[in-house]
Amino acid sequence: MLSGNYKTALSRVRSAKWQSLLTMFGIIVGIVSVITTVSLGEGIKRQVLQQANRLGNDLITVRPGKILSRDKNGAITKVNPALAYGFGTGSLSEQDIAVLHRQKGLKHVSPVSLLSSGPGLDGSQYNEGFTLGTDASFPEVVEQEVEFGGYFTPGEENRQVAVIGKRVAEDLFQENIPIGRTLTIRGQEFIVRGIFKEFGSTTLGQGVDLNKAVFVPRTALNNVAKDATQLVQILVRPEDPKQTAQVMTQVNNALTASHGGQQDITVLRQDENLLVANDMLRLLTTFVTSIAAISLLVGGIGIMNIMLVSVSERTHEIGIRKAIGATNRQIRNQFMAEAVVLSFVGGIVGVVLSYLVNFILRIYTNFQPVITLPVIFAAVGVSLLVGITFGTIPAIKAARKDPIEALRIGG
Amino acid sequence: MPLISLKDVSKLYGFGDATTVALDEVSLDVEAGEFVAVMGPSGSGKTTLMNMIGLLDRPTHGDYILSKKSVAKLRPNQRAKLRRDRIGFVFQSFNLLPKLNVLDNVALPLMYKGIMPVRRLKRAAAVLERVGLADRQYFMPRALSGGQIQRAAIARALVNDPQIIIADEPTGNLDSTSSLVVMELLSELHRTGNTILMVTHNPELTRYADRVVYMHDGSIVHDQHTPLGEVSPLANKARQLFPRRTEEDDLAGVSAIMETFPQKTETAKKRRKSAAKPKRKTTRKAVTRAKR
Ligand SMILES: Nc1ncnc2c1ncn2[C@@H]1O[C@H](COP(=O)(O)OP(=O)(O)O)[C@@H](O)[C@H]1O
Ligand SMILES: [Mg+2]
Repeated sequence: MLSGNYKTALSRVRSAKWQSLLTMFGIIVGIVSVITTVSLGEGIKRQVLQQANRLGNDLITVRPGKILSRDKNGAITKVNPALAYGFGTGSLSEQDIAVLHRQKGLKHVSPVSLLSSGPGLDGSQYNEGFTLGTDASFPEVVEQEVEFGGYFTPGEENRQVAVIGKRVAEDLFQENIPIGRTLTIRGQEFIVRGIFKEFGSTTLGQGVDLNKAVFVPRTALNNVAKDATQLVQILVRPEDPKQTAQVMTQVNNALTASHGGQQDITVLRQDENLLVANDMLRLLTTFVTSIAAISLLVGGIGIMNIMLVSVSERTHEIGIRKAIGATNRQIRNQFMAEAVVLSFVGGIVGVVLSYLVNFILRIYTNFQPVITLPVIFAAVGVSLLVGITFGTIPAIKAARKDPIEALRIGG
Repeated sequence: MPLISLKDVSKLYGFGDATTVALDEVSLDVEAGEFVAVMGPSGSGKTTLMNMIGLLDRPTHGDYILSKKSVAKLRPNQRAKLRRDRIGFVFQSFNLLPKLNVLDNVALPLMYKGIMPVRRLKRAAAVLERVGLADRQYFMPRALSGGQIQRAAIARALVNDPQIIIADEPTGNLDSTSSLVVMELLSELHRTGNTILMVTHNPELTRYADRVVYMHDGSIVHDQHTPLGEVSPLANKARQLFPRRTEEDDLAGVSAIMETFPQKTETAKKRRKSAAKPKRKTTRKAVTRAKR
């Protein structure tokens, strides 16, 4: 009984491919946006977790701006996602570095300055990239290996040398190991002496792709572009990892005190990036979910519309079916099946397209979205639900048709 | 006890001034095994009568007793099941669903009965064989001739082994050769014990019936038993009056008859008295031979 309904419903979808596709468009868009958002979130979560595990929970970053609030026990209560994304600028200064150097119990204090313009080569500019000024301890602090060549040493803070991310090598120099070649920063030449191993996307926070960065000594960078650089982070590692929480409080108090009691900086533990990321995603998810909800609504109305048309076009057919013994319920089920098949096929197409979007994102962006099975089930479930919801009214209309009237209308 | 018994059945359509009386206190008893031909001008209520008997329509007034049970007030669901199990419909046109092949069309009533696909297709194939369409099972309806479509429709009407076959102008759209094939088929069903009610405009086809009912303005104005193989005398009269052989002329002829017999109350009384059973065995051979 049911199998027959779904078979005919499917053949109907097949025989009116374009019409069906247009009808399913809303469903498809809705499903793709939901799956993509959720999979992006899942991917970011996994990256952050990996990163946190790799770097350990004792890497502390000090960032400008008040990104979040904490309660008395240090637990995060509120996040300002807009500030959490990318590099913040503003409230950190050379003085803060000095304050931190005076603190006890810190193994590393490693400032990071940003020059937002990318490096140049032979007169052309690498606009996607950016320049970071660090000290010699940077690779050790973020536990990132230099794959080819080496990082600069404490004695070379004034030298115009550069270590580059993988993308810079590929995109700017168009070769894998451009060691010994020169690039320009603010017209000044820097010699490439190392290439970093590929960075995970969250080493210095969300939305920062370090593979597109050029790393130079901070002092040298300040020498060539003093006015244009910003102190964006100070990385800190405690001597004793078990003391991380105390050190964070200590760092926070010291800096707040030196800022005249104003809480305009944020001290973050590496794994707290996850929470920040989560909160950011929640904003994104709410946004995309509302888009998805609207598309699903539009899709549902589309299905209702085409089903209503179908019911009135097939009035005679309904008459014949009733004459040969179909009950109202059987007619209703037939049209419900058609609506559900439409939305279900839409859902499946949406899932397939999501994999395509996923693939494209993996190739062309730094995101690593992950589509999980529960998401697929949820998406397919939602599409079925849309079909049932919006198929009901047309199906009831079909079921209630008077067979006499229906038969009087020509086939 | 008759198989079908309509008691003062009326059917009104519309409200107020626009009310149409499609059936006007019609009483009719049909015994199991009868082949009733229903004639009458367009708009006289033939289709309404068929739909009433076939449980598609329900009376505005009056009662309908089918196999000793009153079915006039049944719920739509129960009526649908009775239609499915006891009645087979053949319409004038657009009988088959265009998107299903012949076999699936014929198997449809079995699907509504909840029979599994393999069994229903097997049964449908057997019935198609019986109507001579074994080699057209997988054809789509648009690839069939009008006569083949009607035969497939008869197969579908038969697939559930119904007691009653209702055919509303089954040959109305067919040429004379195809008409004869379809009528042969109905005649054979009659022979094997089916009760058949058939609307027709063609007096020639009353040969196959053992009873002819004439309708006019929603009433049965004449009801006579005729021997199988013979054209009903009334219809014959119409033919002599109007010797040309088109469907339109048949219509005109029947209408002329109606004007000759306007006293419906008298004929109704007459009908009840003359309930003699026709002798079918002798006449059948003559009919079949004439067709081949
Ligand atoms: N659904 C309906 N609504 C209004 N009038 C109808 C309806 N069905 C039938 N009628 C009217 O009832 C009368 C009988 O119709 P019908 O049974 O179809 O006649 P026939 O089949 O003999 O041509 C006609 O006058 C027709 O217009
Ligand atoms: Mg009619």
